[in-house]
Amino acid sequence: MENNNNHYSIETKDLSIHYGRFTAVRNVNLKVEKQKITAIIGPSGCGKSTLLRAFNRMNDFVSGSSVTGEIFLHGRNLYSKHVDPVEVRRKIGMVFQKPNPFPKSIYENIAWGARINGFKGKVDELVENSLRSAALWDEVKDKLQESAYALSGGQQQRLCIARAIAVQPEIILMDEPASALDPISTLRVEELLQELKKNYTILIVTHNMQQAARASDFTAMMMIDDQRAGGVIEFDDTKKIFTRPTDKRTEDYVTGRFG
Amino acid sequence: MNQKTDSFPEGSDFYSALKKRYRVASIWQILFLSALFVAMISLTALLYNVMDGAFGYIAYEYKNDPSEFTFTPVNELSKEELLTILQNNLSAGAYKKLDAEQAMPTRSQADLMNLFLERLLQIDTKQTWSMTESILQGNEIRQEAKTNYPEARIEFRSWLTPQFLVSSLSSRAEFAGVRTAVLGSLWLVGIAIAFALPIGTGAAIYLQEYAPKNWFTAIIQTNLNNLAGVPSIVYGMLGLAVFVRLLEPFTSGGIFGLTDANGRTVLSAGLTMGILVLPLIIINAQEAIKAVPDSLRQASFGVGATRWQTVWYHVLPNALPGILTGSILALSRALGETAPLIVVGASTFISVDPDGPFSKFTALPIQIYQWTTRAQSEFHAVAASGIIVLLVLLLTLNASAILLRNRFQRKL
Amino acid sequence: MTRKTFENEIQQVKDDVLLLGSLVEHAIIGSVEALKKRDLKAAEKIIAEDVAINKKRFEIENQLMILIATQQPMAHDLRLLASTMEIISELERMGDYAKGIANINIRMGEDTLLKPLIDIPRMAQKGADMLHRALTAFVNEDVELANSIPAEDDEVDALYNQIYRELMVFIIEDPKNIERANWLLWVSHNLERVADRVTNICERTIFIATGEMREIKDSDDEFWHAQKK
Repeated sequence: MENNNNHYSIETKDLSIHYGRFTAVRNVNLKVEKQKITAIIGPSGCGKSTLLRAFNRMNDFVSGSSVTGEIFLHGRNLYSKHVDPVEVRRKIGMVFQKPNPFPKSIYENIAWGARINGFKGKVDELVENSLRSAALWDEVKDKLQESAYALSGGQQQRLCIARAIAVQPEIILMDEPASALDPISTLRVEELLQELKKNYTILIVTHNMQQAARASDFTAMMMIDDQRAGGVIEFDDTKKIFTRPTDKRTEDYVTGRFG
Repeated sequence: MNQKTDSFPEGSDFYSALKKRYRVASIWQILFLSALFVAMISLTALLYNVMDGAFGYIAYEYKNDPSEFTFTPVNELSKEELLTILQNNLSAGAYKKLDAEQAMPTRSQADLMNLFLERLLQIDTKQTWSMTESILQGNEIRQEAKTNYPEARIEFRSWLTPQFLVSSLSSRAEFAGVRTAVLGSLWLVGIAIAFALPIGTGAAIYLQEYAPKNWFTAIIQTNLNNLAGVPSIVYGMLGLAVFVRLLEPFTSGGIFGLTDANGRTVLSAGLTMGILVLPLIIINAQEAIKAVPDSLRQASFGVGATRWQTVWYHVLPNALPGILTGSILALSRALGETAPLIVVGASTFISVDPDGPFSKFTALPIQIYQWTTRAQSEFHAVAASGIIVLLVLLLTLNASAILLRNRFQRKL
Repeated sequence: MTRKTFENEIQQVKDDVLLLGSLVEHAIIGSVEALKKRDLKAAEKIIAEDVAINKKRFEIENQLMILIATQQPMAHDLRLLASTMEIISELERMGDYAKGIANINIRMGEDTLLKPLIDIPRMAQKGADMLHRALTAFVNEDVELANSIPAEDDEVDALYNQIYRELMVFIIEDPKNIERANWLLWVSHNLERVADRVTNICERTIFIATGEMREIKDSDDEFWHAQKK
């Protein structure tokens, strides 16, 4: 968009994440491509979610957590002293594992984030556009004032995606966004991702390998080392990861022979 | 041959063990049931005991015979007749004084009847009986009263009357009421909650949402939990030292220009109660805040909200029902506490209603306690009625707090 | 190992492929043997046995489909199952070549052989041998072995060339020989195709093991190239 000669959206340099003395993620160097879907896969406890949460500084809330290395967005290190985490979270939205709409109306769920961030335009329009982008508008346009809790799980998750879109982020992080959904809702969310990547860069953590294979353009495979610190062992085109991975451990993982 | 056709071939060991397991299970079930039974018995006994005192036969005499004033039977006197009788028979000075308190024609029939009984007939209670005695041994009581007090009238009386609710204190049990005490209690609870709810909630928010988890906050937390269990008399001592003595210029209203009061005001007592229930409110509010799912906070942070916005728009509204539940508990505690009030200096006999935070006051539990210490048995009946009023008041306040809480819950 | 059931099923498929391969081997050798002896009964038996080959192929294909649908194979597993699908189809085609030779045998009827068969049985023997080793390479995912087999196709091609020229001489000598020469030309062509398909199996085996998809040797081109010269 604004910087065409750089097709990377966000980059990490020797990123390590620590909880107290324990290193949870070690030396991650990822270049995430703009307007592509990048999946992070790996066995449980390999630090996928921890890595994902580092991108919008959600780990700041975990007491004792610290980060070494850098994450660059537009050449700015997100962990520099001069960067406000609130600003980071507006630029990098997040969708969580379990649908977590606010206990408010559908309309308010979307309008609130924009409002607190000082949105000056027409809120009605923003709500409609966000819901349309999340492929939810047709289903909820007649009940915008009803509680978000009245929606089905899949609809709630798409509402959460609409809510993330409403603050106009560049990147959307998704932490196992479909793990609490039924298969049909899951596929619907995956289809939605393909639409969203036209405008947003998407990073998705998933333990569902088929989902990573179906829905992502790039895949990062994570695995813990002998000191129980997670790291990216292979990062490549998704097609390659799932047909002929280079690393034996990736092969074992994607063919279900891990552990 | 397998003679047991309705069982799986598990072997007899299994079945005998199974029988034993069921036996143990049913023994425990019986134990639990009996625990419930004991609890129900205790509660019923409590209620019965109170009711037993509040109703029953009473034998009384009139110092002056009703026929001196009227030929209509006392019970059938109308408001107008009572008014005329009082006007004719009270001294002019006494009538004027009563009229000045409240214009005589505007008073109710019951009120006038009380004045007639008190001032003119000069009712004198000889003996009272409990409800159980009255119901089971009505005839014997009548006989006994006849022989002991040949002059006395005997009737079944309910001590809990509308008159009891609206009358202020009286040195005569027949005319005593709880109005002053009820108002005092309401002021007390109101001040305590107004003080403790915002402060307690604020402290809880800080502890849960802001404070780092370290040894220092751990110590504070432990102390809070312990404070909730400190005997209430200790809070009374604190209230006496701080609110009544140290802050006397404030609690007496001195700095606001009031000169006639000392620190033993409803404000001092209310603040003392507030401090007493503060740990209770903080702990409950903390629990309520803890119960707000983290996913909600993350959702809020995820769209770029600050900590304050997250707390104000999401955590607090969702914790409110829980916080209100805590305040209900606090309210019940404040309403029932007696010891700190005695230390802080509640008046035991006062007939002037509290009309502001700097008033002298009494409270229901104090009043009840005071009545029960009286020697005359009719005062015990009054105390029983007072307890009923206290219980009903407690239930009403709790019910309204629960309604309030449910309204907040529905909104979510 | 977290996928014992799946592993077992894969092993079962591999065993079935070996079985199918041995049926095909047997058919190739048998069909040429019958031709050599002009044994029409044996030829009919070969044709009848091709039904069993086709049946076995469908059986394995079905099993593969079930595994793909139920086990969601990825990476190596996916390559193995997809390539096995290809390999059994190659085997079935080889079976068809053997059946074709048996058919020629029957259609020759009372005609005698143009010449005693020497090189054709050698071709058949060589093709069957290559097939046998290619399937061994497949089962063991032996890249080295799979890589070495296609080179042997040259020998088969050389035999084919030799037979071709020999038959041409017969035709030039006496045009009445055309029909009987043609029978044998077809037979040798079928056998040449068998060896080509063995090369395909080897390519698949290398793909399964390494993920690399490449042509080891374009045998068709080489043959025509040789003819032009």
